[in-house]
This record gives sequence, structure tokens and C-alpha cells, in this order.
Amino acid sequence: MRLALVGFGVVGRSFAKLLQLKAGELASKSGLMPKVVCVIDNHSYSQDSNGLDLGKVLSKKNRSGSVGLPKKGLSSSEIISNTEADVLIETTQTNFKTGEPGFSHIKAAFQSKMSVVTANKGPLAVAFQSLTELARHNNVYFKFSGAVGGGTPILDFGRSCSKGDTIVRISGILNSTSNFILTHMERDALDFKSALLYAQREGYAEADPSLDVDGFDSAVKLVIMVNYLTPNKVAMRDVDISGIRGISLKDVERARKTGKAVRLVASADSKLKVSPELLDMTDPLCVSGAYNAVKFGCEFSGDKVIVGKGAGGMETASSILRDLIDIRGMLAARGSTSC
Amino acid sequence: MLVFKFGGTSVKDGKRVRHVAKLVEANRKKHLVVVCSALDGVTDELIHLSEDASKGAERVVEERLRKLRISHEKVLRDALRKEQSRRRVARLLSPTLNQLERTARGAATLRELTPRSKDLILSSGERLSAPIVAGALSEVGLKADYLTGGEAGVITDDNFGDAMPLVETSKLQIRQTLDPMVESGTIPVVAGYIGLTQAGDLTTLGRGGSDFTATLIASALMADEVWIWSDVDGLMTADPRIVKHARLLKQVSYAEAGEMAVFGAKALHPRTLEPVAELGIPVRFRNTFNPRNEGTVVSAKTNVDSRRVVKSVALIGDVAIITVSGASMVGKPGSAARIFDVVAKSGSNILMISQSVSESNIGMVVKRATAQKAVNALEIALLGEGGLKQVLLEDDVSAIAVIGGGMRGTPGIAAKVFGAVSSRGINVRMIAQGSSEQNISFCVDQKDGKQTVALIHSVFELDDKSQG
Repeated sequence: MRLALVGFGVVGRSFAKLLQLKAGELASKSGLMPKVVCVIDNHSYSQDSNGLDLGKVLSKKNRSGSVGLPKKGLSSSEIISNTEADVLIETTQTNFKTGEPGFSHIKAAFQSKMSVVTANKGPLAVAFQSLTELARHNNVYFKFSGAVGGGTPILDFGRSCSKGDTIVRISGILNSTSNFILTHMERDALDFKSALLYAQREGYAEADPSLDVDGFDSAVKLVIMVNYLTPNKVAMRDVDISGIRGISLKDVERARKTGKAVRLVASADSKLKVSPELLDMTDPLCVSGAYNAVKFGCEFSGDKVIVGKGAGGMETASSILRDLIDIRGMLAARGSTSC
Repeated sequence: MLVFKFGGTSVKDGKRVRHVAKLVEANRKKHLVVVCSALDGVTDELIHLSEDASKGAERVVEERLRKLRISHEKVLRDALRKEQSRRRVARLLSPTLNQLERTARGAATLRELTPRSKDLILSSGERLSAPIVAGALSEVGLKADYLTGGEAGVITDDNFGDAMPLVETSKLQIRQTLDPMVESGTIPVVAGYIGLTQAGDLTTLGRGGSDFTATLIASALMADEVWIWSDVDGLMTADPRIVKHARLLKQVSYAEAGEMAVFGAKALHPRTLEPVAELGIPVRFRNTFNPRNEGTVVSAKTNVDSRRVVKSVALIGDVAIITVSGASMVGKPGSAARIFDVVAKSGSNILMISQSVSESNIGMVVKRATAQKAVNALEIALLGEGGLKQVLLEDDVSAIAVIGGGMRGTPGIAAKVFGAVSSRGINVRMIAQGSSEQNISFCVDQKDGKQTVALIHSVFELDDKSQG
């Protein structure tokens, strides 16, 4: 199966490494023989219809910061349109406001009849309904399990829960950074600022942490889940968002004395909300550190919880691979000759 | 925010265009989007032009092109007073006119018109009217900008001639394009009926296209209402040419309006209602030349009240009944599907269907103009070996539709309808009621058509002033 990669940051590179590590096993276990025919990063690209040597591309990127030739005025979308591939792997930087450049990349791929796997939440936040509509219109597949929960298959688990049942309530800890900060406020008696600094030092928070600690990242993931798992069509503007900046050490300690913990909870029932809440320490949702947890409340089968590591390059790369194997299966079932 | 859609009669000539500008100006305090149809009669003219072009009738094509150019230049001159704004709009019209001429001449030379080129021709009408309207709005001191439907964000599938918008994608793009314009106080003047494929090729939306542009924009921008301006006051209880005391309906539901549209009223095509019905955005039908009348509101409300179960009655005069019979149809699954398939492929749209429980015959109503073709196709495909005994055509009938949301679950409506009809000795030839129960349709002899409509109108007291 021919792959094009756009975005070659932490996730993109992790995915390339994962392909190298797993090549033999993928062929024997899943019938997947991935061939990367194009890699595009910010300023450069590299193409070979016979398949690129990923080791070489990775070392070139490490050495020189580029993956190949300069783009010379070509846009990534134009390069994608001119590439013959079966699946585009989109891992460029997230932009919650415009969804770009990911949105354009995905549209270009669909138009060229490529399926798409993305871990980029930006396009999903801005254009979820449009992208699923365009995928259907072009008769291609669109998977994005890495967008929620990193390597933890939260969306697939939710899909299973909703089969023959109806998800009536979703609640979850969806942002690893916030959870890491709250956990360390609790454990190490740090105030918010110190805990944030610690998270930044440890690589769990960005230099500008606002998307994480102000609740936007959680809100986007909530929007994606509701759109994907329920018949409701929702957007960011439907979510009532508050973050964890206002949480003091006192709040955290007061909670602990009553057997509770402060967590940034995203929830959807009749309303969509992201806000700090008090959870019982014994609640399976009440995870610590960089973990995510989601509880699906189903009409007939009750509550179900899935817990797992919420972020990380390799974790997210593995979810991309999972999506890819699914797409391979669907293409094979369709009798496609393209892989 | 309001979305105004002006039909062809509203922009028939320069004077009317100026009138439209005044109507818009009177509502300048609200955020507005204006959607335009082609000038009255121009779309028909373009259809003829494309037919002549595909036949290679070069001289006729030249004549038609010349007339189109002259008529638009005249409307432009009459609609705009200032020479400067005339010149500005003329600069906008000129590429469209040139492209129209190139496309038509090319097709005439080749004696071939692809669906894609045909859409270029058919869409010219809206691309010529909207800039004139935008110019007239500027002359009354409004900030207005012209865009085609595609530029505004209407993205469709590749089905040229009858393209279907990709609704979610269109809504997103429309928001991204029009929201900032509207916010900054500009009135977008959008050429209706037009979309773009994802690859950027121009498409037309088919029947009711400009209305669809308006409802799609309204749903994308979460407008408060859509106002469809035409030359009638709104939806009526019956065609006033048939029933003198026909009355304007103040309020009908989306479902009722859909039923009325199917039966030829100047209502919205059901699919064009979908985007607004989903969000409960009301659509108001208003008369450009009688703006004091509030018109008909189409909304989610169904006024169910025992006296108002029937809202309107419509006549479709030019139909025919085709009856297919044959014992071999009995108990044989799929025979109906085969029959309908043959009829559809012959180019007939089936308006009504009825089948007896005995299954020995199926009746269907089609437009009279296409009936012979359908009968012929059925004979060739299914007579004899296909298991059918007989295909019968009766083309001396009219169809009557009795419409009202309140008919659902109200017993006795059919009895009242057919009791009245039989009391006058009118013979009912065929009956069908959809399971939505919003519509009872039946066929009578053509000569009895108008009388039947008037009769039902009076039996259900539709002209009673006390009703809303």
C-alpha cells in the first residue's frame, strides 16, 4: 500500500520509525506492505514511486532539518495532488482556529481519491462534518483514532459501545498536560504555576500551554467524540469551556481531605462542557499523571471506562498504524486492486 | 439576519431592479444576504440557446446571443442611473457575456454540448443578473458585493445539470466566506443556482436551484428567516385562476409546503427545504410588488385544528394514467420494481402509484407529455415475454391533490372528499394516499378537473375568512 506522509514532526517521525521496526510483522500478520512514496515537511519534500528509504529520510531530517528537495513555491496540497498514493498520513501542526494546513491537505487527498489517516485535531475541530462528507463523496476512508487519546483506542471502543446501544453520556479526562499538572499539585503540594513549570521541564507541556490548560484541547476531543459516536452535530462553539488556571493548591488539598481529586473533566449529555470537577478518588475516571480515561454511559449496558496513556509520539504513531490496518482491511473487502 | 431571494419576475427589468434595491434598503438595519435568480425568461432563453447550439444552428445561436447581450445591457442602463456605476457593472458582465458567447459558438461548431459546458451556459443568467442588482444596491447607498454561488461557498457533487450540494462542506465554506462580509456591513449579492465541484468546475443545482442557494446560506449563517420574493402574495388555498375565492395561507408547515411544491405551487422544492427545516429557520413567501402583505410563513409549526385539516387543493391538469396488468404479476416479487425502472428510464417521473391487493394491475400517473414514451418502453420491455398482458393509457385525466398536515390521524377526510365528488356525479379514476397522510391524490376526467378543485375548496370551507 502506497503512503504519503505530510508532517514530519514528532508523530510523523515516530510513525516512520514504527514502520521500519514493524515491517516484517505487518506483512505476515496484517497483509500490510506499506511503501512510503512521499514525505512532505514544512519546507521540503521527497518522492519516489518505488518507495523511499525511511532510514535515509529520517537521518537526513535529523542531520539537516529537511527531508529532501525544497518545495520551490509548490504547496503541500499541490504535492499531495500530484502524488499517486493510496493513503495520506496527515500529522502537521494543529490549528484549532482554521484547521489549516491540515484541512487543505486532507481535501487534496480526498479529491485525488486517497484515504486519509490523521492525528491532527485542527481539521476535525473546524470541519468534522465536512470532512466525513467529502470522504463519503469521494468514496474513500477517513480515520483519526490518534486524535483522541493518543495510542488508546478510545474512538474504536466508543464505536463498539454504541453498537446496538446508544451512548447517552460521555465524560472523560482527555488532556494529559492538565492531568499531569493537577496530579503534581496534589502529590507534591505545588501551586499551579510551579506544577506547570515542572510539566514544561518534563516535556508534558508546551511553552505556550494555553490550548491544554485552558480546556480547548479537551473541548476539541469532546467535539470529535460526540460527532463520531452520536447522531448530534456539534462544534467548538457549542462547548462551555473553563480551564484549570484558577485551581489553587488549597482547592486541591481541600478535595483530598474528603477523598476527592480535582480533574479537568469534559462531558457531554444534553450539554457540552469542559471544566474542573471533583471526582471520587475511587472513580475509575480519576486517573493520574499523563493518562486519559473516558466513561461511556450507554442506555442499556450502563457505564464503561477505557484508560490509557494519552499522548506521546510512539503512542500516537501506533494509533495511525492501527487505522492504516483497518483501511487496508476495508479496501481489501471492497476488492480494491490498489494494495 | 435575513436572507432575501429574488425570483426572475422581481428583477424583470431596470425599474423592478431599482424597486428591489429599495426593498433591500428598507431593511438595511438588519444583516442581509441577497440571492438572485436570472432576469425573467433568461433561463428559458439559455435552455433554447443550448439546444440550438448542440444542433449546430449557428445563425440562430448568434441571434439569441445578440438578444441576450442587448437585453442585459438595457436592464443595466435602466437599473442604474450613474454612468460610473453602469461602467463598473458592465466590466463585471463583460467576461460572463464573452464566455457565454465562446461556449455557445464552440458548441454550435462542434454540434455537441457536454453537461459541463451546458452548465456554463445555463448559469450565465444568474451571473449576469446578480452584478446588476449589486450595482443597484450600491446606488441606493448600500455596501454590496457580487459573488457566484460557488464563490460564496456552495460546493456540489459532479452531477452537472442537477448537482447536489455537499451540504456540510458548503455550510462551512459559506460561513468562512460570507460571515466576515456580513459582519463588516457588506451585503453579499449571490448569484443563485450555481455551485462548484471540489475541483472548482461550475455546476448548476437543477430545479429550484436559487431557492436552494438561499436556504443553504441561511442554514450556514443561522439566519433568522429566509424571504422568498416573487410576484405572488404567498401560498394559496388553491390556484386563484380556478377558484375565485382562493385565500392566502398565513402559515404552513415544512411538510405541507413540500407537498404543495410537488403539486406545482410556487413553493420550495422539498429538498431545498431540508437545510432550513433541520434548523427550524422559517421561510417567508412575499410579494415584491406588495411588500405590505406579510405573505406565507413556512415553519416547523403545524396548525392542527379540526377545522383546518385541509390546507389547500391543487390541480395538475396535464397528466395521464398508465395501467399495466397481467396475471403473472400476482405474487411475484419485484414486478413493480421492474415496471417503475422501465418507466423511469424512459424519462418519465411517476407522480402517483396505486396497486390493488390482488396485484393483478398497477396504475401510475405521469405527465402527459412523457406518457407515450413510457407506454412504448413498457410494451417493448415487458409485454409478452415480460409477463404483462396489457398496457393501457388514459390521457384524458387530471390529478387533484388535497393537502394538509392535519389530515394525519383525522378520520373521515377521504369520505368527505369522495362523498362530495360523487354527489356531483364526478367519476374518480384512481386514488392514492401517501402514508404521511398529508396528501390525498386522485384522478378525475379532465373535463371535471377545475370543477372538482372548486368543489373541494368549498366543502372544506377554505375560503372562510375566519381561518388562518
